[in-house]
Amino acid sequence: MAVIREKGYTHWDGRLVERRFPWSPITRTGILLAFRKKRFKLVFAATFVPAFVFLVGLYISERLEDFKAMIQGSDRLINIGPKYFVSYFTNDSLLFMIALVLALGAGGLIADDLRHGSLQLYFARPLGKKDYIAGKMSVAAFFVLLYTAVPGLLLVIFKLVFAGSFEFFLKYPWLPLSVLGASLLLTVFFAFYIMLLSSVSKNNRYVFVLVFGVYYFSEILFNILRGVFRTPYTALFSIPANIKQVGAAIFGQAPPLAVPAVWSFAVLAGFCGLAAVVLDRKIRSVEVIK
Amino acid sequence: MTAANPVRRIFRFFAFLGRRAGRTRVFAVLGLIPVVLAVVARVFLRGRTGLMADVFTEILMVFFLQFYIVLLALFYGTSVTAEEVENRTLSYLTTRALPKPAIVLGKYAAYSALIAALVAVSLTVSFFVLNAARLGQPDLYVTFLRYLGVLVLGILAYTAFFTFLGTVLKRAIILGLVFGFGWENVIQYFPGSTQKFSIVHYLKSLLPYRPAPVGAGGGRGVALLLFRLEPTKPLAAVLILAALTAGLLALAAWVFRTKEYLPED
Amino acid sequence: MTAVISAVGLSKYYGNILGLNDVTLDIEPGITGLLGPNGAGKSTFMKLITGQMKPNIGAVTVRGRRAWNDPGIFRGIGFCPEPDAFYEDVTGREFLTGLLRLQGFPDAEADERAARALDVVDLAEARDRLIRGYSRGMRQRIKFAQAVAHDPEILILDEPLSGLDPLGKRKLIKLIKGYREQGRTILVSSHVLPEIEALTSRIVLIHQGKILAQGDVPYIRDLIESHPHQISVTSSDPRALAGRFIGDRSIQKMTFGEDGRTLVVETHKRDEFFGRLTQAVLAAGIEVDEVSSPDDNLQSVFEYLVEK
Repeated sequence: MAVIREKGYTHWDGRLVERRFPWSPITRTGILLAFRKKRFKLVFAATFVPAFVFLVGLYISERLEDFKAMIQGSDRLINIGPKYFVSYFTNDSLLFMIALVLALGAGGLIADDLRHGSLQLYFARPLGKKDYIAGKMSVAAFFVLLYTAVPGLLLVIFKLVFAGSFEFFLKYPWLPLSVLGASLLLTVFFAFYIMLLSSVSKNNRYVFVLVFGVYYFSEILFNILRGVFRTPYTALFSIPANIKQVGAAIFGQAPPLAVPAVWSFAVLAGFCGLAAVVLDRKIRSVEVIK
Repeated sequence: MTAANPVRRIFRFFAFLGRRAGRTRVFAVLGLIPVVLAVVARVFLRGRTGLMADVFTEILMVFFLQFYIVLLALFYGTSVTAEEVENRTLSYLTTRALPKPAIVLGKYAAYSALIAALVAVSLTVSFFVLNAARLGQPDLYVTFLRYLGVLVLGILAYTAFFTFLGTVLKRAIILGLVFGFGWENVIQYFPGSTQKFSIVHYLKSLLPYRPAPVGAGGGRGVALLLFRLEPTKPLAAVLILAALTAGLLALAAWVFRTKEYLPED
Repeated sequence: MTAVISAVGLSKYYGNILGLNDVTLDIEPGITGLLGPNGAGKSTFMKLITGQMKPNIGAVTVRGRRAWNDPGIFRGIGFCPEPDAFYEDVTGREFLTGLLRLQGFPDAEADERAARALDVVDLAEARDRLIRGYSRGMRQRIKFAQAVAHDPEILILDEPLSGLDPLGKRKLIKLIKGYREQGRTILVSSHVLPEIEALTSRIVLIHQGKILAQGDVPYIRDLIESHPHQISVTSSDPRALAGRFIGDRSIQKMTFGEDGRTLVVETHKRDEFFGRLTQAVLAAGIEVDEVSSPDDNLQSVFEYLVEK
């Protein structure tokens, strides 16, 4: 007796080969999709400007005599040492541009899936919640690393190339590790930050406003509280201030404010923990209708 | 059918939708923060009336003027058109017996009223918490109304600007962000006429910037806000803000009437 | 009969992409079915009629008035858009009353009309639930309700039956036909022929932005019949099966698949062939694994008509 099949049904006889990193296609797609946005490309390129400026500073530092007249008052850029790297990793322009790149390129990573109800498309495949989150976070991580670890390590290399000796490296042998540490700090924090905000709304524009709203609000709150209480500890409310505190500590420098850097680190870690909890609750394969 | 003004009809519809939206609650919570700060400041600065007034004028007003109203106007202003296009609900409005400009103007009015309500509640509570010891002084209420008036003018102007951006550009929020938190902040450090190319300049020109008479218990003015301010005369500032708002809205209404809004796919 | 909606040389481009190409069409009272595959230009045509888009070339008029930027015409038009898009944070009742008030009805009348429209689409019980909690079918019905709540003379319905279950489809078809009985003008789009067929005998075939054909159902059926169908039969003995059809004049071509089990038949008379296939299989005692018709879809019919 012939078997009656529903039209379109096919049985797959193949064997499912498990990927080592099942989330990697999510990351790849996320990165490719970000580059499809015209404005993103512009912002992406502009985010390398701080790295370029620091590179120019580095070059000038090796040609001091030639540039003497030009460099008055810009010692932050030409005294190459740990402070120079702290300046690079915690300067407001870089942090702002990272936030902008992430808001544009990664703000919709979860929000769009929630909006279109496409979470089920992921979970109908051999992917778990962790793979989904890892895949999405890696998109953010990719961009942050591109603006932190890559230029940071290149600046070290260029310093050695421009100087023509290993003296700098012998003086600060731990510097590459600090560069990686600071990159890791920014990457982990910003990846959690953008994932958290992307998961709280289905509206891309709202996420965009939140990315900057939360960031600046924390800074304003810090200033308001400092005005009232006259204590540097209010810096713990500020995202950029906490990053600056921890960033300085990673390079063995005194934090800009008289607050132990470990406290700032705890705040940032706490934020990431909170983001993880929210993500765990928000990412569900089945949408719960209220 | 009634001949109710189409703008009023749209206003009513979106005032209702705006109140219902979850994000309005989030923004309302944000508005509670100055209130909480005012309470905290009151507890810590007990007895120091002048200092408390300073906290309001120099700190909380910065929050309201340079963060809260800009953020709200940026979000709601760009929402006027973009929200309908992104959510594909525009056809529910454009296939009604409503002139297209009425859609923009009514929605603008609804969202401006919503922002004004959020700001007014937050401002009123935080202001009177910090100035509770001076409730018997009539000039306190004049100052309060002046602050409220400045913020309402700011809401109207910023929302009109972002509404215009939203009708013209697909991704208005990026440019809006650069304008609201970049240009508006940076421009105040520029001398001469340069700062007149910002909305915040005219708003600051309307704030009381002369030191209060000694013994009146008032603050020292809004020194932080008026950093390097070369003010425009109050009447001129109000007229410029009003003209700016009207002009931007007229442009937005014209663009909305002539432009086709196509879904991205 | 006088045309209620009239398009003359209507063209619409999205940048370099052709949305609608030189369409001239008159739509009269009654139901007109706009049939075409996805991306054919049905929605573009409807958006031009409802003044949501401006034509690049040509003109479209509704009762003699140009649709673009003339809000007055919408007192008599009800539009049911295709996208599944709503103001999600409102209830079904609030959605309808809100839109009716926008239309200019006073509060009491808006409430009354909303209640009536909800009743018509069987959503009276769910009226106070948020739209975000509605099922796909309910969302489709509330969308239809907002198009009819203000009693328009002209109904423009973009894929109104998609997402409905068979029972829901039947009810909505009955409802739309009811509006026709009241003398209204209704334009319905779909990419499913039986849906359109169930609604009307007046069909407009649209493909790649062009009107390919228009007429009644028998005419369209004839066009579709003239399209040669390919039918693939996978069986234990395809050659024996082919032998049974060798003298059949309705068959134009037979080929064998490389797997040695598939017979591909090309015929103009698909239904007749299926009848004979059953007999042939039973008579020869052949075991059939699968019967499929790879080009049995509207797209292939359109492709055939375009070539023709």
